[in-house]
Amino acid sequence: MPDAPAPDGASFEDVPRPIVQSRTFGDRVFRGVSAGAAATCLLIMITTGVFLTWKAFPAISATGPVEFLTGDTWQPDDEAFGVGGLLVNTIMIALTALLIGVPIALGLALFINEYSPARMRPYLTGGVDLLAAIPSLIFGMWGLYALSEPLSGVAEWLASHLNAIPLFRLTEPDVSLTRSTFIAGFVVAIMITPVITSVSRDVMAQVPRVQCEGALGLGGSRWGMIRDVVLPFGKSGIVGSILLGFGRALGETIAVVLVIDLVFQPNLNILEQGSGSISALIATKFGEAQGLEINGLIAAGLALFIMTLIVNLIARAIVNRSKLTG
Amino acid sequence: MSQTTPVPPPPPPVTHAPPPYVAPAVDPTGPVAPPVARPVADPTAPSLWAEPASEAAEPSAPRVGGIRDDQLPGRLDVLHLSQWFNKRKVLERCSLSMEPGEVTALIGPSGCGKSTFLRALNRMHELVPGAELSGQVLLNGVDIYGVDMSPTEVRLRIGMVFQKPNPFPAMSIADNVLAGLGLSGSKTDDPEWLVEQCLRRAGLWTEVKDRLGESGMSLSGGQQQRLCIARSLAVHPDVLLMDEPCSALDPISTRVIEETIRELCHDITIVIVTHNMQQAQRVSDQCAFFLVETLGEPGRIVEHGPTERMYSNPSDPRTLDYVNGRFG
Repeated sequence: MPDAPAPDGASFEDVPRPIVQSRTFGDRVFRGVSAGAAATCLLIMITTGVFLTWKAFPAISATGPVEFLTGDTWQPDDEAFGVGGLLVNTIMIALTALLIGVPIALGLALFINEYSPARMRPYLTGGVDLLAAIPSLIFGMWGLYALSEPLSGVAEWLASHLNAIPLFRLTEPDVSLTRSTFIAGFVVAIMITPVITSVSRDVMAQVPRVQCEGALGLGGSRWGMIRDVVLPFGKSGIVGSILLGFGRALGETIAVVLVIDLVFQPNLNILEQGSGSISALIATKFGEAQGLEINGLIAAGLALFIMTLIVNLIARAIVNRSKLTG
Repeated sequence: MSQTTPVPPPPPPVTHAPPPYVAPAVDPTGPVAPPVARPVADPTAPSLWAEPASEAAEPSAPRVGGIRDDQLPGRLDVLHLSQWFNKRKVLERCSLSMEPGEVTALIGPSGCGKSTFLRALNRMHELVPGAELSGQVLLNGVDIYGVDMSPTEVRLRIGMVFQKPNPFPAMSIADNVLAGLGLSGSKTDDPEWLVEQCLRRAGLWTEVKDRLGESGMSLSGGQQQRLCIARSLAVHPDVLLMDEPCSALDPISTRVIEETIRELCHDITIVIVTHNMQQAQRVSDQCAFFLVETLGEPGRIVEHGPTERMYSNPSDPRTLDYVNGRFG
């Protein structure tokens, strides 16, 4: 009926028609509350960033941005604030933690999902979450008193048997193997394992049941199903969970402060004494810092803030993508 | 529940013991105890996978993961199968023989245990906590729940096509067909040949031969279901179980799948669950009617026999009512 007259206000023109939604009062109130909450979150984030940048500026300009990011001297009296070495050490601790923690976490997640008796499953899941809730100070103390000794034994073994690997080679024969990146990484690994387990387990539990049944119905073994269905399905979610754990490992403070001796030089021999992290630097120095050193520590914090922000953004992006495509 | 330890069938718990089994009076096909001899293939049945000339010249080496020369349709005999979920009995003393090279349709209203019965035939219930069963399922005379049979071996020989098409999304069409080999750790020396044969037999080859590298998810629902059929064929099962394979499909796709079933049944014994009574009539040679008589009771097989008789002259009035659409 091309020539039918249009009712009031309507038009039969062949153009997209604007659709106006009317919201109820309750809807409007709730919308306002939740939008406010979301805005608060963003606001805190932005003000933190602005505050850090503002306070960090004097120290960075005194040292020079290149020297700040690449240097390894911390002499507040000479206005020299170099965190390059500490950034390297921070990343080394986090990578060591991933190296130890990721296999354990993924094995645990797969065990809980696929192999554990169904009756045990809720307890295991709860146990993993409880582990994540233990304050890091407790892990740090435990690492210092209970793990240092046995782990330096492990470090000695690694140094004497696997010294073909540059990471495990010692610079001097009788260097101390306590209070090292390796031991700090081990303690941090215990702390990030629950996070990685919990997120990757959630992702892998979302594999559609029909897919698993399809694999088993073809005569697949449990491992065949995990390899061909569960892991491909959860791939990006698993990578995301690992990056979340990495972000957490970068920022870990107390456990690292307790376990290591802070050095500013980059130390790639992870078994040897002396390591450090940005957060450990701030925790140890902030109490006695005065004048420009405070700005220097804030600048170090800014570097950590940006680094963890980037890692977390990447992790979130990967996890979200897995949810969409899965 | 371990994958590697075969679970012997638990005896029926005393508290759930059924009344003494009485062979249904309506059963005209006689005793439920089956002959267990390995069946002989019907030599007149056309072979769908006549090997290409070059292949035929080769000595008939066992083709692992391919289609064996000596493949015969399997014979399934179910004896007094009862099934419990969390101590609730859902199937009681079901006995049925699925003859080699025939299509057996399981019909009945929703919730009467057809799918439960079907899934018991390749040990799929072992994935469900709290599932128990009694009775026996014999594949060519061998109890699939026996100590010598692993669930993976059972499922290799008794394949399954599910209600909802479930191609593996991360794999291409060709990889989907070959997925069963990788999953079960077997190999084929000529994957391309196997992919083509399986897709041809599933009636999908001409539609996908130019896009074998595309994702299985790029196909339509009916094509995906035929891909799943092709995938099951690649591990050369003796029996193929189909759980309402057409319920998510349009009538045209349904017809193609039904034609595929009729082609396949020369070489593979097929058991199909369907809600569609016309479909059961079209595709099946034998038919079993499941029913829950009163609410809360377990499902039982009311009657079974040749489809033609079940539809024209069943011995139980409830069967007649059901196939004529008077209830269910």
